[in-house]
Order: sequence, then C-alpha cells, then structure tokens
Amino acid sequence: MLAEGVNGLLGHSALIVGLAASVFGAGALATATLLRDQRLVRTVQAYGWVVFGAAILAVVVMERALITRDWSLAYVQKVGSYDTPALFNFTALWSALEGSILLWLLLLAMYSFIIMRRYRERLPDPLVAWALVVMFVVTAFFFFLSLGPTDAFRAAGLPNFDACCRGPNPLLQNHILVLFHPPILYLGYVGFTVPFAFAIAALITGRVGEGWLMETRRWALFAWGFLTVGIVLGSWWSYEVLGWGGVWAWDPVENASFLPWLTGTAYIHSVLVQERRGMLRVWNITLLVATFSLTILGTFLTRSGVINSVHAFSDGTIGPYLLGFFGFVVVVSMGLIAWRGDRLRSPGAIDSPISREGAFLANNVIFSLFAFIILLGTVFPLIVEAKDNRKIAVGSPFFDTMAQPIGLVLLFLMAIAPALPWRKASTELLRERLFWPAWCGVGTLVIAVLLGATDFAPLLAFGLAGFAGGAALRQLVLATRRQGYRGLLGRANGGMVVHLGVILIAVGLAASNSYTRAGEFSMHVGDTVEFAGHSFELKDVVDFTTPRAVGIKALVSIDGGEPYAPAISKFTAQGMDIATPSVRTGLAKDIYLTLENGSKPSTGFAKLKIFIKPMIVWLWIGGFLCLVGTILAAFPGRFRRLATDPVSAPIPLDEPTTEPVDV
Amino acid sequence: MSDTTPSETRRPRRVAPIVALMVAAVLGGLFWVLAGSKSGTVDKVGLIDSPLIGRPAPAVRSTTLDDVPFDLARRKGSWVVLNFFNSTCAPCRAEQPELVKFTEQQATLGSAGAEFYTVLQYSDDVDAVKAFFLSRGGDWPIIRDDEGSINVNFAVAQVPETFIVNPDGIVVVRWAGQIDANTLAQLVQQQRDAFNPS
Amino acid sequence: MSRTSSLKRWPAWVAMFLIVVGFLAYGSTRDSGPRTPEERVEEITKRLACPVCDGESVYESANSASAAIRAEVKAQVTAGTAGDDDIVAYIVQQYGAKTQLLPKSTGFESLVWVLPAAALVCAVVGLFFAFRRWKMNVDTVPDDADRALVDEALAAEDTKDDDDDGS
Repeated sequence: MLAEGVNGLLGHSALIVGLAASVFGAGALATATLLRDQRLVRTVQAYGWVVFGAAILAVVVMERALITRDWSLAYVQKVGSYDTPALFNFTALWSALEGSILLWLLLLAMYSFIIMRRYRERLPDPLVAWALVVMFVVTAFFFFLSLGPTDAFRAAGLPNFDACCRGPNPLLQNHILVLFHPPILYLGYVGFTVPFAFAIAALITGRVGEGWLMETRRWALFAWGFLTVGIVLGSWWSYEVLGWGGVWAWDPVENASFLPWLTGTAYIHSVLVQERRGMLRVWNITLLVATFSLTILGTFLTRSGVINSVHAFSDGTIGPYLLGFFGFVVVVSMGLIAWRGDRLRSPGAIDSPISREGAFLANNVIFSLFAFIILLGTVFPLIVEAKDNRKIAVGSPFFDTMAQPIGLVLLFLMAIAPALPWRKASTELLRERLFWPAWCGVGTLVIAVLLGATDFAPLLAFGLAGFAGGAALRQLVLATRRQGYRGLLGRANGGMVVHLGVILIAVGLAASNSYTRAGEFSMHVGDTVEFAGHSFELKDVVDFTTPRAVGIKALVSIDGGEPYAPAISKFTAQGMDIATPSVRTGLAKDIYLTLENGSKPSTGFAKLKIFIKPMIVWLWIGGFLCLVGTILAAFPGRFRRLATDPVSAPIPLDEPTTEPVDV
Repeated sequence: MSDTTPSETRRPRRVAPIVALMVAAVLGGLFWVLAGSKSGTVDKVGLIDSPLIGRPAPAVRSTTLDDVPFDLARRKGSWVVLNFFNSTCAPCRAEQPELVKFTEQQATLGSAGAEFYTVLQYSDDVDAVKAFFLSRGGDWPIIRDDEGSINVNFAVAQVPETFIVNPDGIVVVRWAGQIDANTLAQLVQQQRDAFNPS
Repeated sequence: MSRTSSLKRWPAWVAMFLIVVGFLAYGSTRDSGPRTPEERVEEITKRLACPVCDGESVYESANSASAAIRAEVKAQVTAGTAGDDDIVAYIVQQYGAKTQLLPKSTGFESLVWVLPAAALVCAVVGLFFAFRRWKMNVDTVPDDADRALVDEALAAEDTKDDDDDGS
C-alpha cells in the first residue's frame, strides 16, 4: 500500500512544483524584462529546468502507476486492467481525458524548455523573454488543469473489480497506430504555441516587423508537419480499426484537429508574403492567434461534453476553464493587436491580383473560409439548441458539399501559384510557364477518362491534380537542374514536395469517395462470389480466443490467393464488439473485408461485407511525402533569382532584411 | 515604419474599427452560445413525447422466439404493453424483476389485465436472450425483430423503452428508460380510466 | 526558344481547352452502371445520424438502433418502391430532426448555408477594395524606380491585366 500512495503523492507534488515554477518563472522573467534586470533574467533558467523536470516526473509517475497497476489512482482504475498488453498499457496514458492533458503538458513543457535552452544567450532580448513568458503562462494553465479540473492523480477507493479496471476502450487497444497518432498530433497541436508566443511577444515589445517571423518559421513548419502527419495517421487508424471503410467522418473531434491545420496552413503561406514584402502583418498575427485559440476551442468542444462524439472523453468539469482560457487568449490578443494597430500598418502594396502574393492572398481567403465553414458546421447544432431548444445535426453530407468546391479551387491555386512571379505576371509569362503543367493536367484527365472514371467533380479533381502536380514537378525539375540535390531543399522546393503529397491525398480522396463499391454477401463455407471483377471464396469460419477477447473470423481467399481474415472480437471485459477488417492493399485499389454480426462458425455461415476502395494507399503515400517535404523545407535553401523575376524595392524594416525566398 | 501617406492612414482608420467590432461581436456571440450550452447529454428517463401518441400503433407482424406468429393488430380489444429490450443493455437487465412483478400483478386482473410483450432490438443475440430469460424469470412472449422495422417504426433509439397500446390499437404512452412495476401499473390504470368513459 | 514559344502560343491552349471540355463532357455524362442495393443503402445511411450516439452516421455506427435503421433502409431499398429521399424523410420523421445530417435549407437552419456564401462575398468584396486601395497607393508611394524596373523586366504587352483586380 505504501508504494501506491507514493505515486499519487509524487504526481501531485510534481504538478504543484511545476505549476509554481511556471508561475514564478513567468513572473520573474516579466519583471526582469520590465526592470531590465539582467541578474534576474539568469535565474529563469532554473525555473525552466524545474518546469520540464516536473512535467517529465508527472508523466513518468503516471506510467509507473499504470505499469505497476497502482489501483489507488482513479485514473488507473479507469484505463488500467491486468490483462492489457504492455504496449497498450503504455498508451493508456492518453486513452482518457486526464492522461491526455498530462501528455499535452509534457509536450508544452518540452517546447518551453527547448525555447529557453535554444535562446539562452538571448534571454535579455525582450522579444525572446516575452515569448518565454507566454509559454510559461500557457504551461501554468495546463499544470493547473492537471491539478484541479482533470486531476490525473486523484486517489480512488479500493477497486471494485466487478465495475472497474477494464482497461482502455477496446478501440484503443487494437492497433499499433495508437502509439503514434496521438503524440504526433499533439506535437503539432502544442507546437503552434511557440509561434503564437512569439507573435504575442512581438506585439508586447512593439517589434512587429519580420524579426519574430524569422525566429519562428521553422517552429511553425515543424508544428504544421506534425499536425499534418498526425491527421493522416488518424485517418489511417480510422480506416484500419473502425471497420466502416472510411478515413474521415467530419466528426467534431476530427474537425477540432482540422481547424488549426487550416489556419496553420494559411499562415505558413501568407508568412511568405510578409517575409518578402513586409505586408499582411495583422493578418499573420491573427492567423497564429486563431490557430492557437482554435486548438483550445477544439479541446473545449470535444472535452467538455457540449458536443458528443465517438472520440470525446466527456467531462463536465473541464469545460468552463478551457472556455475561460479561450476567451482570455482571444481578448488579450485582440487587445494587443488593437494597441499596436498603428505599428502593424504595412508599408507595401500588392500591385496585381495575378501575382505570387495575389495567389497567397487567394489561398488565405479560401483556407479561412474553409475554417469558418467547418467551425460553423461544428457549432451550429449548439446555436440552434440555444435559440430554439431543439436538437439538429450537421454532418458529413454538409461538410462534403462544402469541401468539394473548396478543394477544387485549392487544387487550381496549387497549379498556377508556383508559376506566378512576385508583384505582377504577364499572360505571356504564364503561357510559357504553365504550358507543360497544363498538359500534365490534360493528360491526367484523358487517362482517367480512358480508365473509365466518371462524374464531373472527380474528373475535374483529377485534371486539376495533374495540373498542380505538373506545376510542382516543374519547379523541382528546374531547381534540381540548376542546383543538383540542393534543389530539393529550402522552403520553396520542400514546399513543392509537400504539394505533391497533398495532391496525392486529394486524388486518393476524390477516387475513394467517388468510386467505392460495396456489397454484402451471406455465404457458407465453400461458397464463392464474384464482385467487381474479383472472386471471393469463403474457406472457413472459426472461433478464436485471445486473453482479452473471444471472437470469430472468416478466412476468405481473394482470387484464389492466401486467405484474408476479417474478424469480430467481443472484448470480454467491456462487453464490446469490435470488428477487425482485413485489407488487401494495392496501388490501384484496396479490397476491404469486414465480417458482420450474425456469422456463425457452428453452421459455417458468414455475412461478409466487401468494399472495393480505389487509391486509398495514395493517402498514406501522400502523408509520407508531406512529412518528407516538411523536413526538406526546414533545411536552408539557396537564394537565386531568375532574370525575368521582378524584384521588390527595399522595404523599410526595423529588422535585418529577411532571407529571400526562392521563386 | 508608420511613415505612411495620409491617404493610407485615413482610409484604414474608417474600416479597421468596424471590422474589429464585427469580429468581436461574432466571437462574443460564439462565446455566449458555448458558455450557455449544457455539457453532457443526460438520457431522459420517463414519459417522452412521440409523434406516435394518439395514433394507431405501427404494424408489428413477426414471430416470437418460440416461433409462434405474432400480429399486434390481432391484439385489439386488450391493453398491450410492449417493452423493447436488448440483452446487453444494463437498465434492461435491471428492470426485469419489476417487469415480472408487473405481469404477475396484471394476471390477477384476469382478462382486463394488460398483455405484456418484449420486443427484441435488432441484432440482439437470440441465445443470450433465452439464457437471460431463463435465469432472471419472465415467461411472456418475446417478439423477434429480424428486419429491424419494428424498432424503426416505433423510433426506438435507446432501449429500454416501454409503450402502452390501448384496446383500439392506439399508442397512448411512451416511456424511455428503466421503469418499475408500480409506475407501469399506474400508467396503465390511468389510461384505462381515461379510456373507459368514452 | 522560338520553337517552344511558338508551340506555346494560343492555338495549343485552345486545343487543350477543347480536349478538356470534350473529355469532361464525355466522362461525366456516361453511365457509371447501376448502383448495387448496398451502395444505395450506403448513400442513404450516410445521410442519417445515429439517433443515440452523436457524431456518427448510421452508416458508421455499430449501435443497435443504427443497425435496425440500416436493416429497415435495406428492406425499403430491396422493396424498391421508395426513392432515396423518401427513405431518408421517413427515418427523419420517425426519429426527429437530430437524425438528419444535412441541415434543411429553410428557416433558421438556412443560416448554415447562407453564412458561408455571405462570408465568401464579404471576402471577395474586401479583397476588391484592398486591391483598389493598394493600386491607389502605388501611385503615391514613391517607388517609381521600382515600377520602372518591374515594367522593364516584364516587358508587358497586356496592360489590360491591371484592370481585372478583385476578380
């Protein structure tokens, strides 16, 4: 019993120490910066170490409690069980609300620590100092959440093994992706705190030029990359585990991760305009504030229980705090922007809408509009309920309808933007640069039609995707021809690799959403059915038992090959049926098999659902390319200038001139 | 950096505050809606409204677990209580003793007593249901819903749900969630009192 | 160079345009084959929300109520008398508005359709005015040297492009 009490005590102590250290760290650094007290600045290092150490300790203690099955903690009773395998017992840390806030806290403390160490020589610089103050304040808020509203180390009475200790939700102990998806998504989610902190610091210090952008562009890029990969991994998990054959359901939790991605994507594009032309200052800061506050708002929406979703860990007590923090962030940021309004006025002007910066503006309008629509659709049921006290639903048909034209416009922008020069384009230049990309698009469309693709929207998507892919490839070819492998590095070129990844994802989504075939078949052992050009033979239906579940699986041979085994498992502890699909993956199409309820091994009967899903694997390849492109983009690229490219006049800045970006 | 021309500084000053006010108003509205929304949906237990009430009951034509044909239309003339059930649902299992008590009580009323039927939820495992009734009592007919249409016609979302159908075949009561013998008996009696004078 | 640029003159683009229009028209009008009953069931159940588990469609949900609705939809599809919209309307009538995933386009719910369109219009109008202001400023901000450099570099023939801002 002694060891068990220790975990709760240690955890609480770590959280209290961490809360105190982040509050005092923020206070000391703010005071030191205001009083220009160099000695006090140096003490901040110690706070940073303590904050990070405390967060690590809290997570380690929780993992220890989970691994040793310390039933004295309520959280362990909630997500722990004796028969969870070691891997899923480890991931149980983030399988419910309290633990996922701990994970958030750990990553936030880590980012604060890295910022502090990386800029330790420059802490007397008010810009860096205020950024770190903001990081400490946000960290303090999450320490507070973990201590109070979502107390992870709450003590519990003796476990009643009839009612508790059943382990995580079976869906969260079914696939290895549970190990990767949440931490990577959170790395992206939490990572946007860093550029946000620098934006606030820029407002506080009044140094709203491009200096803070330089500091944070890689941070924003990394956060964006992690968020992207996290979202793709989440879709993959949904595809492999949920058994309905889809990758994206516009569920509120998915929307909550998608919203900051949209504003973050807008930001990493429009930031280029500011770096190059010194414009859109208010807008960029607003986008970062929006991105950060949308992560908080998304967490509120999905974790407070106001919107229910399959993913939600509803808990009524955390809501007011998250909403309050969201309000605080928004009010403070808007106040600061208003205060610094006159300094934020941009000195430059955009000459023509048909220019690189014009395309970035269009991109920003579309992404912001997209984010607005998703947010509106997500909270609209709440608005109707507040007004009329009746329940309605807004779901995937709405979001699909909206996303389709927006996706097509974005593909079109991806096709022409890389060819546009800064300032102003002539039709002759465009005709020259877009010629081969446009033929790529035409070729893709022709091939798609010849392969039998139908319907207007997906065909247009294929054509535009070919166009956009051609434009991205043209950039890369030109760059590598000139610079060898270095032509793949840098933001412009790495960005083109990311574009290729996004295009693959778009093609995969268009194809799989439009051309999925589905059929349901009741079969007896030995039966063969033909569907969509393939034969499916039911070899056997068998019972199986694992330590945690009993289930049945069907052995199905596709076109006479090795059998695939879709299964249904009943997790005995939770009494929950989990269908495990079995997928034959291919570049052109996946064959996705699920076993339906009603199948019986005793009679050799199986009810089989067969999905033919084209080009799903392109999504994962595209996600991987996004990752590769983000990494390439993080390397410093080389500056070069085409003879025909117009060059902007020097812009009066109070920071050193930015590193120009490749065209 | 604020060395802008007069024309540039004059124009935005007119627009910026308006935009800022609009953004603030939208955010304020959002905040108000979110702050006012109830967290968590509490499943309502008790009498709930339904478009079915006051209308003829939807058709229930099926067989019982003992393979006896069942047709609700043929039960006209008697009070009928339909209880929608799933063997994996905890409140359904919990209310079983009360339902047993209720049927025993109604049996003492002779032919005036209400008939009681369980309707299975679609996809429930028949073997599990039989085992449950064997161990927890209840000897009334259990109606299968292999097509799911009975559940859909009665718009049953969350089992258990209990419906009372009067001798004219009109749905008069819909009760969501767990129920006890006395409440159910009272509901039937109230309906009987209201029915008889007419 | 002269060969490529002659290749990239308007006729090639016109040919491209004609190919795109032709193939799009052919591809989007040809019949994609009859839908299987399962595909109809899928389309219908994706339009319906599970009545008990918020956030999932009937198609995705593993809940018993959803299973019953799927079975009912399947029965109606197999019977073949009702159209997709009729079946959706029937289920929504049974279970209430909270099962309809596509918001109505009338009454208060129409806002969810109107607001995005309004936002788009606002954005386009805003951009139009921004560009107009920028253009006016360009004339007053003293970067004529820069302008000259640009004009020279571009050797622009089509000055008409200056006029299509905001579009």
